[in-house]
Amino acid sequence: MNILSIGVLDFFVQEAVGFKRLLRAFCVNLYISLVSVLLSIFFGILFGFIVSKRKIFRIVFKIFLEIVRIIPIFAWLFLFYFKLSGKNGGLSGTAVSIIVFFVWGTFEFSDIILSSMEALPKHQYESGLAIGFTYKQLYKKIIMPQIMRMVLPNAINLIVRMIKTTSIVTLIGVIEVLKVGQQIIEYNVFKNPKAPFFVYGFIFALFFVACQTVSCFAKFFENKFKI
Amino acid sequence: MDFVLIMKLIPIYKESIFLTLKLSLCAIMISLFLGIVCSAISYMKIPIVSWIIKFYVEISRNTPLTIQLFFLYFSLPLFGVRLSSFNCALFGLSFLGGSYMCEAVKGGFDSIKKTQIESGLSIGLNNWQLICHIILPQAIVLSMPLIAGVIVFLIKETSVAGIVALADVMFVTKDVIGMYYCTNEALFMLIVSYVVIILPFVLLFTFLKEKIKYIDNKILF
Amino acid sequence: MKKFKKIFLFCAAILLGLTIFGCSSEKNLLDEIKERGKIKIGVFIDKFPFGYIDTNGENQGYDVFLAKRIAKDLLGDESKLEFVPMEAANRVSYLLSGKVDVTLANFTITKDREKVVNFSKPYMKVRLGIASPKKFPISNIEELNGKTLIVNKGTTAEVFFATNHPEIKLLKFDQNTEAFNALANGRGDAMSHDNTILYAWVNGNDDFSVSVDSFGSESFIAPAVRKSDHDLLSWLDDEIKKLREEKFFYEDYEKTLYPIYGDLVEADNVVGVY
Repeated sequence: MNILSIGVLDFFVQEAVGFKRLLRAFCVNLYISLVSVLLSIFFGILFGFIVSKRKIFRIVFKIFLEIVRIIPIFAWLFLFYFKLSGKNGGLSGTAVSIIVFFVWGTFEFSDIILSSMEALPKHQYESGLAIGFTYKQLYKKIIMPQIMRMVLPNAINLIVRMIKTTSIVTLIGVIEVLKVGQQIIEYNVFKNPKAPFFVYGFIFALFFVACQTVSCFAKFFENKFKI
Repeated sequence: MDFVLIMKLIPIYKESIFLTLKLSLCAIMISLFLGIVCSAISYMKIPIVSWIIKFYVEISRNTPLTIQLFFLYFSLPLFGVRLSSFNCALFGLSFLGGSYMCEAVKGGFDSIKKTQIESGLSIGLNNWQLICHIILPQAIVLSMPLIAGVIVFLIKETSVAGIVALADVMFVTKDVIGMYYCTNEALFMLIVSYVVIILPFVLLFTFLKEKIKYIDNKILF
Repeated sequence: MKKFKKIFLFCAAILLGLTIFGCSSEKNLLDEIKERGKIKIGVFIDKFPFGYIDTNGENQGYDVFLAKRIAKDLLGDESKLEFVPMEAANRVSYLLSGKVDVTLANFTITKDREKVVNFSKPYMKVRLGIASPKKFPISNIEELNGKTLIVNKGTTAEVFFATNHPEIKLLKFDQNTEAFNALANGRGDAMSHDNTILYAWVNGNDDFSVSVDSFGSESFIAPAVRKSDHDLLSWLDDEIKKLREEKFFYEDYEKTLYPIYGDLVEADNVVGVY
């Protein structure tokens, strides 16, 4: 007699193809997050080390960081989508999302690296140089292992945030899981009025599984290397 | 850039800024309360409730606000619960903010020196008094930087609230572009609005952070 | 440090390149489309039965049928077509920013829109209507005083009520899906949109009816292009004239709209345009 249970069975049977479409569309989200995360980590670490060298770099960096942080990501996506275009139609929603996430990710990662490096006591650097290490050896053997402990939890937090934030790209027209979900609901609006509950519930579960997997993987990684 | 048009747009944006601030402040208050309560319960390790709170924090931190809002706004009416746009956005933001605040305040709880707890117990305070008078005030002050971060995060998340038909800054920008076809002017007003909303908070928190570092050094060595 | 500087400059160069890539030189749009081998047409994906996605993920609808024919006549093949999903509110900005070559998203001709884009010959007639629950029907606009009206952002319905009746509370949504969902959930007392859309929706929804069949003046729907694309405009004008002579739009109506409306609506009332 449970309305929900009858609905679930009906829905799964009729709309199995709908769930397949949702999974395929979720790959778009995952693709955007993966590419942006990989690019951000690489450039973020690079940027973090470059900026830590001089005080003036740090000041300029902090100003740009605040500018990037003040405007919400949705607003940046909107801005870039309408302004990064010429006669040729400009970049697609996916490309714009990757660019915006990459810029945001790079700044955030650099900030994580920078604050970890600032939190490390100065004598670590000085002792390393005093015993004759070159800069390369200093960073490789002394600095990096120590800041890893501070960087890793924040980095994982950021990666999970980036995966979550890809849900916003639906609002600039990218065909990803939320948009496909809405299409399925639209098509089912007469046949199955309970559709929104199941579709949004399924998407909810997808994001939860994806983000939780990343966090669990990080915990496993931390324990394994006893960081 | 048509400045006459911008003048016409200012009242529309002003209203949206007020609505955004109203939504953010209500959500911040509720999240702060929720966060402190959840964090205190987790700290005291009360058996079943701590598990529920852990579950809540995991769910809320691992799912995007967009989905939570769509779910609340479009699925709940099927079960007879119809929330207005504002209430829906408030519920969603508080749900999300509560878990972030919980994590922030937990950081504060964790950094309280053990000596504080031991001294409190040694002068005969019971658990409840210990929490209310000694631990909680210090935890909140210590977690100020993290709480500040969550506050700014919540204000920015209101940009998504437009999907439930709430007339915040992003919603109004899209609307204005759709009705008057003035993309440049609308995007300009968008940036100005967000700077006006968020910059004061950022400056306030930077100022407070300096003050707290001073207090931290002086009292809590 | 030198190595870092080099890498940094390299990255800056890439970013600069990406930005410049967005801009391109002046060219005749028609030639550009033929060179590209694909035409980008903006359509709705949630405005049943004019532009929507079926269970297989394919675009279907009255506008989509016309779009496929345009691609076939221009480039020789129906598949040389890229559908760009649009929302009502971004039909102009997508066209102006070059994301689409033509807007075929049930776009009504209005004076404000004519200032920013060029419309080709009309292919459909439309009037605004109001849908409301059968239990509490709204039979005229005056009854809406003090009530909540649901509209879709960027439509003629929104503009009509925002300009002429600011006293009526409007609940605005980005997409058709959300707007209809809200009406079904009772979030508003009525919804205003093109009556053709409303009739299609109430057909499958027994609790609602189109309580005001039409108000305001009769309007026309036509494809829209940018002001600078005169060649594409004249090609479209000739194409639509040709299709009218062929009675193409009656065929379109038979295939996409008749299954929905049946004998409720006369084909002439929708596609008989001169």
